[in-house]
Amino acid sequence: MAVFDTPQEAFGILRPVCVQLTKVQTTENVERLQAQLQTVSDSALQELQEYVLFPLRFALKTPGPKRESLVQCVVQCITSILSTTCVKKQDLLQELFSELCLCLSSPSGLQPPAPLSEELKLTVIQALHVLMHSAYGDILLTLYQPSTLPHLGFAVSLLLALAEQEKAKQIKLAALKCLQVLILQCDCQEHHRPLDTVETRQCGNLFASFLPGISIALSRVITGDIKQGHMVTVSAIRLFYQTVCLVMADEQLATITQDEEKPSVEQSRLSELVVHRGPDWVKSTADKLSLLIHKIVEFASLHPHWKVRMELVELVHLLMLKCSQSLVESVGHLLKAVVGLVNDESNEVQSKCHEILRSIAELRTVAENRALADVLSENLHSLATALPRLMNSQDDQGKFSTLSLLLGSLKLLGPKVSIVLNSAAHLQRLSKALMQVLELDVADVKIVEERRWGPEDTLGEPLGSSQHGKGQKKYFRFFIDERIFLLIQQVCRVLGYYGNLYLLVDHFMGLYNESVVYRKQAAMVLNELITGAAGLGVDVLHERETAVSTEDLKGTITSILEEYTDQANWYLTTSIDTEGTSDELTVKHSRVRAIPRGAHSSSLISSSSPSSDPNPTIRSMNSNIWQICIQLEGVGCFAYVLGKEFRLLLASVLYPVLEKAGDSTLLISQTATGTMVDVCHACGYDSVQHLINANSDYLVNGISLNLRRVAHQPHASRVLEAMLRHSDASLLPLVEDVIQDVLSALDQFYDDRASSFLGVLSTLVAALEVQAPPPEPEMDDSGAEGETPLPAHAQIAKDVMERCIHLLSDKSLRVRLKVLDVLEFCVIVLHLHESHLLPMAHRAWPALVTRLINDDPLVVLRAFKVLCTLAEKCGDFLRRRFSKDVLPKLAGSLVTQAPVSASAGPMYSHTLAFKLQLAVLQGLGSLCEKLDLGESDLNKVADACLIYLSAKQPVKLQEAARSVFLHLMCVDPDATWLLLNQICCLLPYEPPHPSLQPVKLGGMGRQRTEFTDNVLGLLGELQRRETAAFQAGPREAPEPQPPSLTEALG
Amino acid sequence: MALPPPDPQFVLRGTSAEVHTLHFYCGGQEPDYPILFSGSSNGLIHVWNLKTRRVDTILDGHGGKSVYWVEAIYGRDRLLSQGRNQKICLWDLAEGRNTVTDSVFTENVGFCKCSLLKVAQGHWLMAMPGKDLDEVQVLELPSKTSVCTLKPEADAKPGMPMSLKLWQPDFGSCPFLLAGYEDGSVILWNLSGGKILSRLACHQEPVMSLDFDSEKTKGVSGSSEEVLTVWSLDEQQNLKVQKTHKLVNAGIADVAIRQDKKILATAGWDHRIRIFGWKKLKPLAILDYHTATVHCVSFSDHSRPSERLLAAGSKDHRISIWSIYNQTSGALHCPLETRKPD
Repeated sequence: MAVFDTPQEAFGILRPVCVQLTKVQTTENVERLQAQLQTVSDSALQELQEYVLFPLRFALKTPGPKRESLVQCVVQCITSILSTTCVKKQDLLQELFSELCLCLSSPSGLQPPAPLSEELKLTVIQALHVLMHSAYGDILLTLYQPSTLPHLGFAVSLLLALAEQEKAKQIKLAALKCLQVLILQCDCQEHHRPLDTVETRQCGNLFASFLPGISIALSRVITGDIKQGHMVTVSAIRLFYQTVCLVMADEQLATITQDEEKPSVEQSRLSELVVHRGPDWVKSTADKLSLLIHKIVEFASLHPHWKVRMELVELVHLLMLKCSQSLVESVGHLLKAVVGLVNDESNEVQSKCHEILRSIAELRTVAENRALADVLSENLHSLATALPRLMNSQDDQGKFSTLSLLLGSLKLLGPKVSIVLNSAAHLQRLSKALMQVLELDVADVKIVEERRWGPEDTLGEPLGSSQHGKGQKKYFRFFIDERIFLLIQQVCRVLGYYGNLYLLVDHFMGLYNESVVYRKQAAMVLNELITGAAGLGVDVLHERETAVSTEDLKGTITSILEEYTDQANWYLTTSIDTEGTSDELTVKHSRVRAIPRGAHSSSLISSSSPSSDPNPTIRSMNSNIWQICIQLEGVGCFAYVLGKEFRLLLASVLYPVLEKAGDSTLLISQTATGTMVDVCHACGYDSVQHLINANSDYLVNGISLNLRRVAHQPHASRVLEAMLRHSDASLLPLVEDVIQDVLSALDQFYDDRASSFLGVLSTLVAALEVQAPPPEPEMDDSGAEGETPLPAHAQIAKDVMERCIHLLSDKSLRVRLKVLDVLEFCVIVLHLHESHLLPMAHRAWPALVTRLINDDPLVVLRAFKVLCTLAEKCGDFLRRRFSKDVLPKLAGSLVTQAPVSASAGPMYSHTLAFKLQLAVLQGLGSLCEKLDLGESDLNKVADACLIYLSAKQPVKLQEAARSVFLHLMCVDPDATWLLLNQICCLLPYEPPHPSLQPVKLGGMGRQRTEFTDNVLGLLGELQRRETAAFQAGPREAPEPQPPSLTEALG
Repeated sequence: MALPPPDPQFVLRGTSAEVHTLHFYCGGQEPDYPILFSGSSNGLIHVWNLKTRRVDTILDGHGGKSVYWVEAIYGRDRLLSQGRNQKICLWDLAEGRNTVTDSVFTENVGFCKCSLLKVAQGHWLMAMPGKDLDEVQVLELPSKTSVCTLKPEADAKPGMPMSLKLWQPDFGSCPFLLAGYEDGSVILWNLSGGKILSRLACHQEPVMSLDFDSEKTKGVSGSSEEVLTVWSLDEQQNLKVQKTHKLVNAGIADVAIRQDKKILATAGWDHRIRIFGWKKLKPLAILDYHTATVHCVSFSDHSRPSERLLAAGSKDHRISIWSIYNQTSGALHCPLETRKPD
């Protein structure tokens, strides 16, 4: 299509259609004009702008009713002209502005907008939009004069009405967009001339008149039906804050003086419209806005669409930035919004909130603006007051927002937290609220039931995982969501970070001591307070002025730990299965403190202790378990806080923690183990083992003192066991020292405590065995008995063995079994010191014999094992005693039992009788060898064992019996050969020379019997050995390899 | 129901020998930590850090012979120690040093512990058993010049001095010496004249230990018999028995009155530490921990009364540390029943 570039050509083209349109105003004529416009270049059109617009405007202005289609067509045409041209004249702008607005007004002019078609409305709005964009910057500003207020007002109310009342989303959006342009806040890409200060103030003055209307209408749009779509709400929010900022900006208001030019408008009607933004006006407007803002915040912060919440955050940002003084009444709402959204599910919203909070904090608006701080502290108070109620009534999401709000308020208060908390009322409310929120659910039976099984301890394992910051998963009464706990944790840490640590710790310590109802929560809070005070794991907006010194932290922590580990708070009833601990504690408790304060308080138990509850319920035990766990977690926290400085506290803390690591309640032992790991990391030890080893002196102190208390002896022995398991030979002197305590305690509480002490003794001697110095040649052989001083470890073993002798005849089966274990270890440790071992063995013998021949089969089994060890170590010292006291009995029982096992079914191998037979058979061979038994005894053994070579015997017994004969072959091969050949002999032993007597053996020519296989096997072996020995020369036959004793007995 | 007897606050282990003497130094300011010096029968002096409860330093200067008296001088940087090798050593402990800078040879071979009294800034008097068996010598420190030699009249025959206590009524006034002797008597010496002012036969057996309260001008002594004797000094400088307390088990190795003059502690041969109210000698507690004779007791000089400790050293190689009756004000209440030893 031809383009007409010059105005002349264009004029030629456009004139006829313009004339035609002026004459006859029809849609067709407008369309014709529109069509011709396409052929005209922009520059040409600019020249002819007014000319071309004339017929169109004329068409609009013609009085009388018009067809909507025509109006629409005209407006569209105007729009297209304006979109390519500029409006350079003030009059034209104003006139077009009014004319377009009029298109929407109802004929009566009173109730805009007219009931027109949606298309038309949209077209007109767009036309207005385009008009505003086509006006030159300076020209546009002429629209913003007091004299044009009525026009502007008309447009504003029209557009607001459209935004509010229209159904179509498109229209609403367009109207809002247009309004945005109208208040000079257009955010389109096109260049808008920025306003200078004076112009801004003028506009502010002007729009002050519209602020009530705009803000009310927009708040209605914002809080309208969610179905209108989030875009509308977002636009409305944006428009709302832009308008408010335009009018209420602190910067502007500050420049407005009392005698500000009462607008130089003559007409009194107009001057009434113009608002003077004096203090009174500002105050009353702010009050009204506060209501609207409150409404908007409440609504938008719960809006399902994140963009709406995001826009709300923007609103807060801008208003806080620009209007925090004028809108001081609303600051509470605004902060509430942003603080509440700081944990929003949308990351964008979250990070925006963080950014804003940080910028608010950086501006120090909060810290220096007293009014703001007051608002915050009031908010805090009312929130803390409402918290308990809200925690009861809200769902987790609601609780989450409420607590977010609490946290945010604290963060914004920053250093002022400590001032606010100086008010007893505040602190009281807040702490009580925390006590309620943190209440644990203690109904779970499992917590109480789950016991620790398996290996005695898990401390030695390479590395338990650190629990710092996590702790055991807790179950709360009032919420389930883990995030809520994290929020509360942050609340406490922020309190610790900013607050006066002494005041806070004192207060919560007070609650801790006040009632068992608060104790667990208070301990949780205390743990977090300290963490926060150290500045660890706490997220804040402003740095505090002064950090708490390490010395202060240490002092505070020391006093908290003193409370935690006080008997009344550390030894609580956690189970009803009494391995003897809890019940004794409850009996021993006493109200009176024997020594006034300052005395080492751990020796006394006050009756306020929950452990004094004579009938512990599941709930109370569960609660006690949790209390201990929380306190243990506290120890871990504190270690983390103090780092290596915590080493100084190990003297008082390590023992109690290690004690709990051996607790029979699973949760406690797990937690304590975790705490050990935490402490280990914090104090810079490579491993828990290293930690224990390096601080054994502290442990020994605790063990020694606790052994003095009957009720604590089981704990003390657990700790000692753990210590022994992790200690090495370097600790022997210390161990030696404490063992004296154990032994004297054992001597003192013989009857009731033997079992628990034996555990320790057994660990002890086992450790001694491992740690014993490398064997040196026996030096004291020639010396008088017992005169050479024993090495320390051997002396301990001897002392222990002494006690074992007494306990060998204990009436408890368990004790007897355990004693035998210990005894065996003692023998092993002492074996290098024969002059000491033999007298001990002599003393132990009678009791041991009784165990061997006249006791429960289980004991016999163990005793036989000890006997074997003893035989290995004491050699022929036992020979006579054995053959006199034991062998007849053993052989006898083997003989009597043989028919039973020969005819027993497969289940027999699970019986104790079988195990006993097996053990005796497996051990007897080496016993014969070690003890170097005489011929008659060997015959006794052989006779008793021979019957077990029967194929009718269980395979294992046959095998064991064969091992006896293999040993016998070593002791006396000829006798054995003869004996076996008496049973069975396949080889015809031809005399090498006829003059020799023919060999007659009992087994010759016998039928194959039940014994044949085993006997032949043994004879074969004997033959093999003889040959080997013969070939190897006069050396001794190789040792037989019977199954090792431990293997066999295990 | 019997109350549980109190426990030590903690126990120091590792001397590997009998503990014969203890001396606290806890008056320092941070970062100085409280210290306890202990002297043992193996000739070693252990310097215990009471904060870590561990040995900081071990001083070896008495040739393996028993150390039976230690006392700090010049703050914590110098230490006097007396050993059975007949030497009194002056140790320099400043800046981590541990060297003997000076020593005095004592010609006496008894067990009598020295007594030290600060008479002026930088000047001390030290009473020590003298060359002759019944003689006490008083030196001025640091000059080591002999101030006087106190020797009883030939016919007095109190035997060897067993226990010494230098004191003065007021700072700067004329010092006196109280000495307990082998024959069970306590003698008050006037240092300026070298004369006996008063002599009191208070025990049948040697006086093992004595302590004196110069404010109330009364003292206490223990011997190998089963009596604890409190005696007073009247205006005429006469010693008079004020009260005796009969013990069930004989033998008091050491007595110590706490600085605040409220309580008295005794070290018993029966392995027990006993606590008495000093005013009326009211038995307050029996501290039962050691498994052998308790050789010495000592109270700490913490500036804060609530931190004050009692330490006891025993033949069982252990030092027990107790925190008892250290409330700042008010009467001593809740006394423990004194239990009859079994």
